[in-house]
Amino acid sequence: MNALTVNHLSFIYPSGTKALDDVSLSVEEGQSVAILGSNGAGKSTLLDVLLGWQKSAQVSLYGKPISSYGRKELGRTLALVPQFEQYNFSFSLIDYVLFGRSPYLSGLGTPSEVDAEIAYQALYDVGLVNYAERHITTLSGGEHQLLLLARAIAQQSSMLLLDEPTSALDPANRKRVLTILKQLHAKGKTLLFTTHDANLAYELASHVAMVKKGSLLCYGPKEEVVNTAMLTTLYDTELTVAQVGTKTLIY
Amino acid sequence: MNAHQRYQAERKRRTGLLLGMLGATLLLAFLFLFAGRYPTAGFRFPTDWSTNAMTRSIFLRIRLPRIVLALLAGAMLSASGFTFQMLFSNPLVEPGFLGVSQGSAFGAALMIVMGVGSTLFVQLSATFFGLLALLASYLLATRFRFGGWLLRLVLSGIAVSALFSSALGVIKLVAEPTKDLQDITFWMMGGLWNASWAQILSILWVVILSMAILLGYRWKLNLLSLQEKTSFSVGMNPKRDRIILLIVATVGTTVTISITGLIGWVGLITPHLGRKLFGSDSSTSLPGSMILGSFFLLVCDTIGRTVLATEIPIGLLTSFIGAIIFMIILSLKHQEGKA
Repeated sequence: MNALTVNHLSFIYPSGTKALDDVSLSVEEGQSVAILGSNGAGKSTLLDVLLGWQKSAQVSLYGKPISSYGRKELGRTLALVPQFEQYNFSFSLIDYVLFGRSPYLSGLGTPSEVDAEIAYQALYDVGLVNYAERHITTLSGGEHQLLLLARAIAQQSSMLLLDEPTSALDPANRKRVLTILKQLHAKGKTLLFTTHDANLAYELASHVAMVKKGSLLCYGPKEEVVNTAMLTTLYDTELTVAQVGTKTLIY
Repeated sequence: MNAHQRYQAERKRRTGLLLGMLGATLLLAFLFLFAGRYPTAGFRFPTDWSTNAMTRSIFLRIRLPRIVLALLAGAMLSASGFTFQMLFSNPLVEPGFLGVSQGSAFGAALMIVMGVGSTLFVQLSATFFGLLALLASYLLATRFRFGGWLLRLVLSGIAVSALFSSALGVIKLVAEPTKDLQDITFWMMGGLWNASWAQILSILWVVILSMAILLGYRWKLNLLSLQEKTSFSVGMNPKRDRIILLIVATVGTTVTISITGLIGWVGLITPHLGRKLFGSDSSTSLPGSMILGSFFLLVCDTIGRTVLATEIPIGLLTSFIGAIIFMIILSLKHQEGKA
């Protein structure tokens, strides 16, 4: 089933900066798609448009224009894992993960016991359940990223949008986040993530979209599009794709 | 006990604490009915209730409305302060921070000096100029080209406050010194000595409605303290909800201070205390802060009307006691990074 369609999308900020130019792609349910590009290529803008945060008539979700989705309906369909979160109040971890249940609450409702169970399960899935009552201000960078992921898991949406999910993590935490994302993908969750890390894109994605200066350079199964020539064009520097045993390495 | 059971136990503890504090505040309010300087200073239970009309009048027409106003105003100011702090994701914000208090003060003083000192016009003018100050701060912040959004808001709030303060200074300069100037000065120091049932009734529906709306949003306030994009992604309409809540909190505040005068620190200090006692989740810390606001104002007002033979303006007491509590809270151990 088609989960997401982007049809000739162009996007210009009110300041006049053209961020995206004629981008088209189609994502099937259960795919894991990397939006790969260097800093300032337009990846985050594309993610914002796919989230519905930036308005566009060129995006459809499950066959329906994204603009026709209600806020809560959209929240039940898409969950965002931002690159970072800003909080000036020391919520507990469980408080924060419960925020992901918002799309399921009535008008001015508060989370129920069922919501709390789902939130605890999400914390368990990312390995933070034993810290549920800790304050988020005490978390390390890696735990922080896991918490953002737990909130998105608790949202139980069919698609996850992740903005540079591992860019600020050390190798151990990067591995933890990758393992969890692979598990989610294996369970059928559609993943769409931005990254400037070609190795991450190859490891986690089934399909890769390369974005350069707001334009789509190529899009397709990773085995077809990730090669030395394309990566060199994407980053304007020579990159090599090599096979080391069963692993593909890009350097 | 597993994590989920601990969570349930914590929720029960918070609910119990809320109910206990509510009960204690109401009990204290009842007891303070007997505190005063009639017939002599101190706590006196009336023995001549049925025979002395003066006793009944003092209890029912002076002390009781004053206590009810303290409870209402404390809860409203605290709820507004809490809401502002969550909406601006800044634990140091209160309505006065964005020029609302100075705008209201200007509006009230304008009516007093124009000789239209009726409660209704003072209320309307204070509310109008309070909202105008908020709008001006917001628009100015969008025009500033310096710093991040919060810093711009703070700077624009300082600028708008200063403008209204200077305008207020001009009004005080031209005010008739024996009557209007005194009224303005007392209004700015805050006080509940004018409390009457008529005044309370004139603001009651606005205050109750404002508090009901803020309480209705008590859980969603959490989401509005996050980045706008995150709250959007969990199904919120952050821009619309922020505007609604800002207007509600501002109207509630300005209508309240239109009859109590400027009462500082309640909206800043009690949300801090509330979060310390109930945690940062606003579904319990908002109502907790409101009860603390009622408690704080009730105690300050009772001190103000009983300790000395002359009345101590409540605004002076809330500032004095509030500043001390604030210093203590921020000096406590293990406060790093917590709000």
